[in-house]
Amino acid sequence: MFRNTIKSFTSNIIRPSLITRQLPLRTVQRCSGPVFVRSYAGFPSLTRDLAKERIIELLEGYDKVSTKNGITEDSSFINDLGLDSLDVVEVVMELEHEFNIQIPDNEADGLKTVGQTIDYILSQPDAC
Amino acid sequence: MVQQKQVLKLYKNLLEKAYKFDNYNFREYAKRRIHDSFKEHKSLTKPEEIAQFYNNGINNLALLTRQSTISQMYTFDKLVVEPLKQHK
Repeated sequence: MFRNTIKSFTSNIIRPSLITRQLPLRTVQRCSGPVFVRSYAGFPSLTRDLAKERIIELLEGYDKVSTKNGITEDSSFINDLGLDSLDVVEVVMELEHEFNIQIPDNEADGLKTVGQTIDYILSQPDAC
Repeated sequence: MVQQKQVLKLYKNLLEKAYKFDNYNFREYAKRRIHDSFKEHKSLTKPEEIAQFYNNGINNLALLTRQSTISQMYTFDKLVVEPLKQHK
C-alpha cells in the first residue's frame, strides 16, 4: 500500500521533469520565426537625402540665410543665399561639427553650392 | 599685401580656438568679438590698414590659443542656457 503510493508519487514527480527536459526544444522551435533584435550601437547610415535634410536644416537655422527662394541643391551660398565669404567659413565650420569631419581649406574653397557640399560630405568615409 | 585667403584662414583659426573654450561665457564672448570685429573691418581697402588689422588678429590668435588651453585645464559647471549633448 505504502510502497504503491510512493511509486505513484515519484512517477508524478518524474513526469514533469521529463516535460521540462523537452521544453528547451520547444522554445527553439518557437524562436525559428522572425527574431526582433534592437541594436543600440549603430546610427542609421548617412544617405544623400539624410545629408541634404541636415544641411538644409542647418542653413535654415542660420539667421543670415535668405530663404525667399527656398534652399535647393543648386542654391549657391554667396549668390542665392546672400552669405559673404566670412559667413561661408562659418557655415563650413558648422558642417564640420555637424558631420564630425575636417574640411581642409583648399577643399572648402571649392564648395560653392549646397549640392557640391552634399557630394563632398558623402565622399568622406567617416562622416556621420 | 595680405590676401583674402589669409584673412579667411585667420578668421577660421580664431573661431576654432574660440569654440574650444570650456566656459560658456568666454566662448560666446570670443565668438561674438571675432565676428563683430571682422564685420566691422569688412570695408577696409588700404593695404596698410588691412595689414595692421591682420597683424592684430595674429596677436589675438596667440592670446586665444593660450587662454582656451588654460580654460580646458579647469572644469566648469554647465549653465542652464547650455544645451546638454544629446544623441541623435
